[in-house]
Amino acid sequence: MTLFTTDDCVLCAQLKKQFDLAAMEVQVEVLGNNDAGALAHLAWHGLVEKARKALPILVLDDSSALHEFAHIESQLLDRAARCGVAAKRHGKPAAGCEAGSCTLQ
Amino acid sequence: MVNVDLPPIKGFLETSFIDWPGKLCAILFVGGCNFRCPFCHNHPLVLAPEGMETIPFAEIMGRLAARKNWLAGVCISGGEPTLSPGLPALIVRLKAEGWAIKLDTNGSRPEVLAQLLADNLLDMVAMDVKTVLVQDKYERCAGGPVDLGAIQKSIDLLSYSNISHEFRMTIAPGLHTEEDIIAWNQQFDRSRSRLTLQNFNPRTTLDVRFEKEQGFAPEIFSRLVGRIA
Amino acid sequence: MGVVMPLNAETAQARTQRVVNEDSTDIALFVRSSQDDMTGWNRQRIVDALLRETFIDRGTAEKISRDIEVTIQAGKVKTITGPLIREMVNAKLLEMGLEEARRMHTRLGVPLYDVDQLLVQHNKENANVPHGPEATNLTLAEGIKKEYALLHVFTPDVADAHLSGDLHLHDLGFIDRPYCSGQSLEYIKKFGLNLPHALSMAKPAKHAEVLLAHMVKFAASLQSHFAGAIGWDAINLFYAPYLEELSDDGVKQLAQMMIYEFSQQAVARGGQAIFSDVNIYWEVPKHFVDVPAIGPGGVYTGKTYGEYEKQAQRFAWALFEVYKEGDAAGRPFFFPKPLVHITEKFFKTDGHLDFLHHICEVASVKGNTYFVFDRGDTAKISECCRLSFKLEASDLEDAKQPWKMRYSALQNVTINLPRLAFKAKGEDTVLFQLLTEKIQLAAKAHEQKKKFIERLMSLGKGGPLSLLAMDLDGEPYLKLHKCSFLIGMVGLNELIRVHLGEELHDSDASIKFGLKVIAHMNIVCNKLAESMGMKFVLEQTPAESTSFRFAKLDLAHFTDEAEKVVQGNREKGEVYYSNSTLFNVGANMSPIARVEKEGLFHPLIEAGSITHVWLGEAKPDKEALAEFVINVFKYTQNDQIAFSPEFTACLACGKTSRGLSETCPYCASKDVDGITRITGYFTKISSWNKGKLGELHDRYRNVDRFNN
Repeated sequence: MTLFTTDDCVLCAQLKKQFDLAAMEVQVEVLGNNDAGALAHLAWHGLVEKARKALPILVLDDSSALHEFAHIESQLLDRAARCGVAAKRHGKPAAGCEAGSCTLQ
Repeated sequence: MVNVDLPPIKGFLETSFIDWPGKLCAILFVGGCNFRCPFCHNHPLVLAPEGMETIPFAEIMGRLAARKNWLAGVCISGGEPTLSPGLPALIVRLKAEGWAIKLDTNGSRPEVLAQLLADNLLDMVAMDVKTVLVQDKYERCAGGPVDLGAIQKSIDLLSYSNISHEFRMTIAPGLHTEEDIIAWNQQFDRSRSRLTLQNFNPRTTLDVRFEKEQGFAPEIFSRLVGRIA
Repeated sequence: MGVVMPLNAETAQARTQRVVNEDSTDIALFVRSSQDDMTGWNRQRIVDALLRETFIDRGTAEKISRDIEVTIQAGKVKTITGPLIREMVNAKLLEMGLEEARRMHTRLGVPLYDVDQLLVQHNKENANVPHGPEATNLTLAEGIKKEYALLHVFTPDVADAHLSGDLHLHDLGFIDRPYCSGQSLEYIKKFGLNLPHALSMAKPAKHAEVLLAHMVKFAASLQSHFAGAIGWDAINLFYAPYLEELSDDGVKQLAQMMIYEFSQQAVARGGQAIFSDVNIYWEVPKHFVDVPAIGPGGVYTGKTYGEYEKQAQRFAWALFEVYKEGDAAGRPFFFPKPLVHITEKFFKTDGHLDFLHHICEVASVKGNTYFVFDRGDTAKISECCRLSFKLEASDLEDAKQPWKMRYSALQNVTINLPRLAFKAKGEDTVLFQLLTEKIQLAAKAHEQKKKFIERLMSLGKGGPLSLLAMDLDGEPYLKLHKCSFLIGMVGLNELIRVHLGEELHDSDASIKFGLKVIAHMNIVCNKLAESMGMKFVLEQTPAESTSFRFAKLDLAHFTDEAEKVVQGNREKGEVYYSNSTLFNVGANMSPIARVEKEGLFHPLIEAGSITHVWLGEAKPDKEALAEFVINVFKYTQNDQIAFSPEFTACLACGKTSRGLSETCPYCASKDVDGITRITGYFTKISSWNKGKLGELHDRYRNVDRFNN
């Protein structure tokens, strides 16, 4: 499972705070940081164009991809439960991802 | 049903744009054939299938599954597929995955064809009718003895069922005269069946026995096609 | 007034006209200058040239001229040429270590022997250039401009990188032009034809045929100002307001005229046909729906383009009917290249499936159709062999005044990827470091080209790029601030082969690494774009002669390593590297696999990519092709595809047949020429360079008949 994120993305940051992704065996790729490996990984999954529109994106073990934040969160909660890892409860959903800041530039 | 072995699949082409008119399909090649047509371009399957590696059925099903959203159907060709007792079982397995099936056949086994049609296992059939149904001519084209009665039975089966079908003939100057082609045309009920002529192409033929032959010149071929239109 | 001092009695007798100077020695010598003139020896001319052309001081210049004079006197020549004197001065500058001055003083040109060879034999570097006086003019001029570029536009490090084969600076012979362009017919619809240096001016066209005449003239004029392709956006839509008065036959006739006009080997530049692309839409693109339409006479018709859908479709249909028929001998038309945009809106537009079958039928019987995939909200205007300009927000603003939609790439610089792998010797860090350095060097080259073009453009409408400086709409035709700079690549497949020991099609691991290489290029380009304020974009280099050149140079300079991976036939010299990010053309891959896997790279290559599906002889079913096209749109990231059949054209009987044969199947003559797609456009195989011939041989010949 891979979570594609970028740096100044509020939703991405929230997920990272909420979940111990490493313990859940979810690989976190940070895009836009001059990391060719992360970009290549994104391209391998055919998600470059989608990432240009919105991040985060969660790629599941069967290579399908989730783009809606709610779906991503619910999938991660599921995963956390199955891995026996606690997830922090989060407060109000974070605002501020409308203006396109949460995308691959 | 008796537990029969599935026919050994000797070839798998993931995409064909030409084998099923109107549909993108994959092709499975079954080894072995009862004819020895001199112009055959699949001769390794015909002459020495044991020398070709068999592709595991599970692998084939896997590859087909991966392309389910691309392909409209699967074409079973060869060699002569109706020689394999396992052919119906193969088709049943494919149909169970939702595949439309096209069969290529020389029509020498009408009973097999009849059963497949009765069991509703086919969506299209392409039958090679080598020439006009005259014993010596047909045997020259088929490279050996032929039961013309069987051939005629298969033609009738296809013509009068509701199955989508076509009759094909590969023509070469060494084997067919213009009269033959016109007579061939007249064997069929054009209102029920589609007919296709293929020009023999020496370059795609790997069959050594016929490599010195030529196909018809393009304008002659066009004229012949026009004669049967 | 000086004193005449003869050197010796004999030479004094051979004296003719003289201009003397205080110190100069009287040499009785005829000098054939380049001014079609014969004059007497005059040492001062050397001094004048040195002072005019270089930065050396008068004292040194005088000394040099005296030294040369002495040398000439010691010889016994009766006549000498200007060029020879210049070379003697250059030799002296070299001797004195005055390298910079020598560079500035150097003479450009071509040896006599080479000119002789050229006039007689065909130059095959560009398959688009025929043999003939115009073509040889082009080649000679390009030769000089190329030298000029390498000496004077680019710094030595850049020039050396090009000459050694680390990089390829495209179209050096066209140093004084931008690379390629995309524009809208709207410009001449609105402004008529008002070209600089033209002998007359034309008002905006009132009828379709006149508009076509204007378009062809304008295209020819553009061709003389750009190195590469001339592209037209939404051509069928912009003609639409002129089609209302035409019957269906009239529309078909117009389509025929347009295709024949652009297809004929023109008398334009170099005797080449104008490399043209026309972008075609079945639907009215979203960004044009509400735009007021310009029609006959260059005036607004009162309708918007959204209302011209049916007319635009009529023209699109007719164009493809003409493509389907081919020319008088049944051959496919080479130009203009039709690019049909497949978009979300396409599938929502009535009649799209019939149109798709129609254009697929053309693809099947003639191969012309290019399918460009604009997924999501991307809009593109494509030209060249795969170059596309993605329309951004500001461009979509321009769409309200379509004559403003003009795009250009100023230059293309391509990187030799296999060579980087040779040097990296398997070390990832080294490979990526070398790659970064090469891209930086390429960016430097771009900057130098940009400065040069800016200098020419600054001379304005009276300068050498007057067409590009023309500003009928308040802005120069060439919008320098919006130009892109292309970074291309050759031989990713061979880089992988060297670095990982297998080819792209061999495993997922090689594809993933290949993606990393291209991702790295993408990232570096973006960083440089920000820091240098220039729009660097990755492009899949058409690589017609580049992959041949790189392969040859690597075989020469990296023999051991290159021998293992260069493709093609070494004995015949038909060698090549795989084009850009394309998989090995001989790889046994199904069309689906090729389209899918090559497509993974496309989103990273933002200026455009293509996958070729080679058809050989088989004439595929148009509906099967259509299904394939739809699935490419739905299930892959692939940017653009073309189906490429092959044909044999008989030069004896004039007939065309499918497939490549050595003899004509109609008349059995051996005087045949094959026709198929070179990198991105159809042409005759007899005009292909050796590298491309090697590639042709490998194309899917290795394919197993029964498995893929």
